[in-house]
Order: sequence, then structure tokens, then C-alpha cells
Amino acid sequence: MSNTAIVLRTRSERLTLRLSRHTLFVVAALGTALLGSAFVSLCLGSHSTSPANVFQALVSPHESDIALIVREIRLPRVLLAILVGAALGVAGLVLQGLVRNPLASPDVIGITSGASAAAVFLLTIGGAAQGSPLIPVVAIAGAFAVALTILTVAWIKHATPGQLILVGIGIASAMGALITLMIVTSPDTTAMNAYLWLTGSLYAAQWGDVLGLLPWVAVFLPLALSRARHLDIMAMGDDMATSLGSALNLNRLVLLLAAVALAGSAVAFAGGLSFIGLVAPHMARNLSRSGSAGLILIAAMVGALMLLLADIIGRIGFAPRDLPAGVFVACIGAPYFVYQLHRLRR
Amino acid sequence: MFVMTLFTGFSSATHGQPSEAMDQTNTVDHPKHSQIAPKRVVTLFQGATDNAVALGLKPVGVVESWTEQPMYHYLRPYLEGVHYLGLETQPDLESIAWLNPDLIVGERSRHQLISPLLSRIAPTVIADQLYDFKALLKLMGQAAGREHKADELLACWQVRVEDFRMKMASRLGERWPQKVSVIRFRGASARIYYGGFARSVLDELGFTRPESQRQSGWGINLTSQESIPAMDAEAIFVFMVESNPSVMETYRTWTRHPLWQQLEAARSKQIYKVNPVTWNMGGGYLAANNLLDELYAHYSLEPLNQAQECCTC
Repeated sequence: MSNTAIVLRTRSERLTLRLSRHTLFVVAALGTALLGSAFVSLCLGSHSTSPANVFQALVSPHESDIALIVREIRLPRVLLAILVGAALGVAGLVLQGLVRNPLASPDVIGITSGASAAAVFLLTIGGAAQGSPLIPVVAIAGAFAVALTILTVAWIKHATPGQLILVGIGIASAMGALITLMIVTSPDTTAMNAYLWLTGSLYAAQWGDVLGLLPWVAVFLPLALSRARHLDIMAMGDDMATSLGSALNLNRLVLLLAAVALAGSAVAFAGGLSFIGLVAPHMARNLSRSGSAGLILIAAMVGALMLLLADIIGRIGFAPRDLPAGVFVACIGAPYFVYQLHRLRR
Repeated sequence: MFVMTLFTGFSSATHGQPSEAMDQTNTVDHPKHSQIAPKRVVTLFQGATDNAVALGLKPVGVVESWTEQPMYHYLRPYLEGVHYLGLETQPDLESIAWLNPDLIVGERSRHQLISPLLSRIAPTVIADQLYDFKALLKLMGQAAGREHKADELLACWQVRVEDFRMKMASRLGERWPQKVSVIRFRGASARIYYGGFARSVLDELGFTRPESQRQSGWGINLTSQESIPAMDAEAIFVFMVESNPSVMETYRTWTRHPLWQQLEAARSKQIYKVNPVTWNMGGGYLAANNLLDELYAHYSLEPLNQAQECCTC
């Protein structure tokens, strides 16, 4: 690893971002891969289109006869995959840093299930149809409700991070049971919609979804980035962090807020995708040993790339059936974990 | 049988069908297009495919059926060379766009989410109900410039309904109107339908239901065999997907149960196994007529002949 680094500072030095050369290289490589995959995804479909035609549709839609397909059907889906993947990757990385446990992730500690349970509840009581703008709001509220419950337990019982995870896993199971109950007691159509939603699908992503998720990512990803160095300090233990001058509780709260907001909003727009929040941070750590700031960027890109690729497979591989991307995220994620295990044993 | 008669041409007769007000909540986008009769129709649920065939429109794209994939046998002869667009719940949007349709028919609970995109591809009508085949027939007739054909079909249906009611009243005498249950066996559970396609047709035909089933909603899912008595009625119509082994296992264990043997309908041998495609999945005008055919046969009623069906309406 090169020891030269690039440091970005605001004038008052309140915010600094230090990235090593190696990290920058990884970020650039991932960025290229992401752009490339995005363009490939725009070219692929039930009838593939030539890159030149796709480019024309993007640049001058009025002269293109596939503008509708590229700009209204494919493009929002690609963008939503990138945003959702990035949000989940970062949420996972921040949570793992916060509780100092590599098994933490939005789906493991129940944030995803909280959002899912809230959304399924709304779907099954008939409060909203699929695609209603109410669903994201309720899902995000569900994510925060779970986070708040975990925090309250932590507060009252002075729980250690390890215990926090156990509480989260408990809540996740309870939410899972609740979801099953709601699906079993609901009619066919609703149950089917709820199932599709739960697996996590980018089917029929529209510009409204992209624009709905964008503000969350645009606010909370930089927020997480701005507090990233506190994650590094927290990794040294609470006592050390306090003595180094980190306002421990405040920073923890801000980081948790960012993680929950990112995970909750991602789930709200793409359904109960699991695994990305767990795997993307591990992949990021394999790619770079930089500090949390660099890792956040890398985890975001890895997450985005994972979901984008998974969605290409689900969309193209079994056409005309459109399989939920969540299925293939698990297909990529599970072998990776086996590989990790293999590495660890050596 | 009835399907065959549909295309042999109806005389353009007058019909005393009361014109029900069109449901205002149905959305018909791009009304400017409706002057030109659409030629390239895409149907995104089973009932719409069935109705399109009934109206004499051959769709260019349809979604896959739930059983007998890719399409129910009763519709296959009319859908040769059609494009399949994936599942009813997630039709392939891009393929729809490539087909360049001039009318898309969807349904609220399935396609509300994608209806903005559909409307950008082509004029789109969204039905309110999956199984209200009559409202759908009117809606599609209107959107496809075939109102007249839709009215004709509905008038014929009305004739058949009245004939059935009359013949049932004379066949069953005091036992008419008969209380019936509609039951479906699934893997590890059974359902009693309070609503849905078959139930709504049976209601229209004049059948009634046991007191306990006079409820709103689609019905109830039973997971315990102790609930078997809730299914009881003077006659029970049972359907299931017989190609599924776990469904048949449920059927065997439940119908072997002593409680099942004690049902009033079982003791009087009034349990009829019927076709799930006709009774539940088809959901259109042709399926409704096939259902009626099955009922004529079950109750050994003299069916209307083709001439009576068409000339009296």
C-alpha cells in the first residue's frame, strides 16, 4: 500500500477526508466497472439494442425510436439499483463499525425486517396498493421503530454491542413471524404482491422511485462519510475513543441515524433485499485496508455493483419472466461467504 | 361447446339489456385513440385474455396462465403465435413496448404500480376487479371499439342465466334456490370462497349460500381438518389443481376424514369436482359460459340450443 495520500479538507478543517492512493485506485476501478455495467445493462433487454442506438436514445431521445424503452424502462431501473445497492452497502459498513461486529448488517439486526413488516402490514390491511407513495414512508418509519427499540434496550440495560446484535436478531425473528402471519391471513393477490416485495425486486422501477430515494442517499451518505473517522476511533474501544476526544454518544447516534435512514429508504423503494448490507462491507475490506472513509466509498460502489449485476441476471437470464434481484444477490453473497471462510482457515 | 358457437356469428339483434352505467373509476387513457379500433391488444391478466378472445380480438401479447402453461387449453386454439409476456404479476414491460400495442388491458390489484409506464407505451385500461367479467367485457368493448359485440355477448349471457334459473327451479322444486359452497383444496389447506369468480357467477345464477358464509371478503383459508363442518351446504363444488401432488394429498386426507363423510352434501352425494380453470382461473366470459355448461351437465338440464341462445337475445 502506498503511504502517500490525498486529503480533502474544508477551510475550517471541521471535515476532512483522507484517501490513500490505493483507495483512490480501487474507487476509480470500481467506478469504471459500475459505469460499464450500467451501460451494458442499458443495452440488454428482452430485445437487445446496439450501444450506438442506446447512446442516441440517451443523448437525443427525439430522434430515437427506442427512447421509451431506454429512458423510461431501463434507465430508472439501473439508477435505482445503484442507489439502493450503495445505500445498503454503506448502512452495513457503518453498522458493523458501530457495534464492532462483522456480522452486523441492516437485515441481521432487524432494520430491514422492521421496514418490511411495516410495508407488508400496510399492503395486507389494504391501506395502500403496491406502488403507493405511502409505502416508503411507512417502511422507513418501521426501520426507525426497530432501531429505536434496539437503542432503548441498549440504554436501559447498558448492553454491549454483542448483546445489541442479539436483541436485533430477536427483533428480526419476531418481525419475520409477524410478516408470515400477515401473509398467511391475507388473500392470494395481496400475498403474492407482498412476497414479491419481500424478495426485493427492482421490477418496474420508475423515475418517481429514483427521485424518491435520491434525497435520502444524497443526505445520509455524505453524513456517514463526514463522521467516518469517528468509526475508526470507535474501533479502538470506548475508553480510547473518549480519551481521543470523540463525542462518543453523539457520533454513535448520528452514524446510527445515517445507517438506519439509508437501509430503511433502500428497503422502502426496492423491497426486502438482504445480504448486500452484510457482504458488501466485507468485500470492501478485502479490496482496501484504508480507513472508514475510503471503505464507505468502496462499500457503496461494491453494493451498487452487486445489485446492478444481480438485477441484470434476474431481468435478462429468465426472460420474459422477471426474477427478483434479491434471489441473485443471495447467489453471489453465499459463495463469497464460503470463500471468506476458506480464507480465514488458511 | 359454447365456445365454438361464439364465433359462428350472432345476428345483429336488438337486446333489452339494461345499460348499466359504466363504472366511473375505470380509467381509459388517451381517449383520442378510441376512434380507431385497436388492432394490437395486449392483455395482462387471464380474464382479459379470455374476454379478448370472446370479443373476437386476438391479442398480440398475453401473460402466462397459472396452470396448463403457457396457456389454458380452452384458449389455446385462439392464441396461436401469440407472444407470452411472463407472469400476470410481473409482465415484461419491455416486451410489451416492443410489441407496439395500441391497447393494453390491466387490472388494479396487479398493475396499478406499472400503469403509468403502460400508459406511456399505449392507451391502457385498468379494470377494477379480477373476476368481474361483465364489467370487464363492457370496458374492453368500449376501449376496443366493440361495444356492440360486448352488448350482444352480455345479452346472450343473460338469456342463458334466465334459462338456467327457470330449469333449475323446475328441476329442484322446493329445494331451489340451493345453498352451495365453493371449496378449493391447496397444499396443506383448504379454502371456502365467499367471493371470487365462481361465487359471483353462482350468485347471479340464483344459488344461495349457508348462513355462515354470508360474509364479505374473498373467503377463508382453513388449515385444520376440524374446520371441515364450516364447508357444509346442500351441494359443494370442489376444485383444485390436480397436477400438484401436495394438493391431491390434501384432498385425499381431508375427504377421508370422518367429518367430511358426515357433511350433508357428502351424505346426499352432492359434492361435485369441477374444473379449476373454468371455476377460478379463467375469469372471463368464455370461462363463465363453460362454468354454466358444467352446471347444465351436473344437474342434467337440457341445454339451450344455439338457435335459442342467439335468436332470443
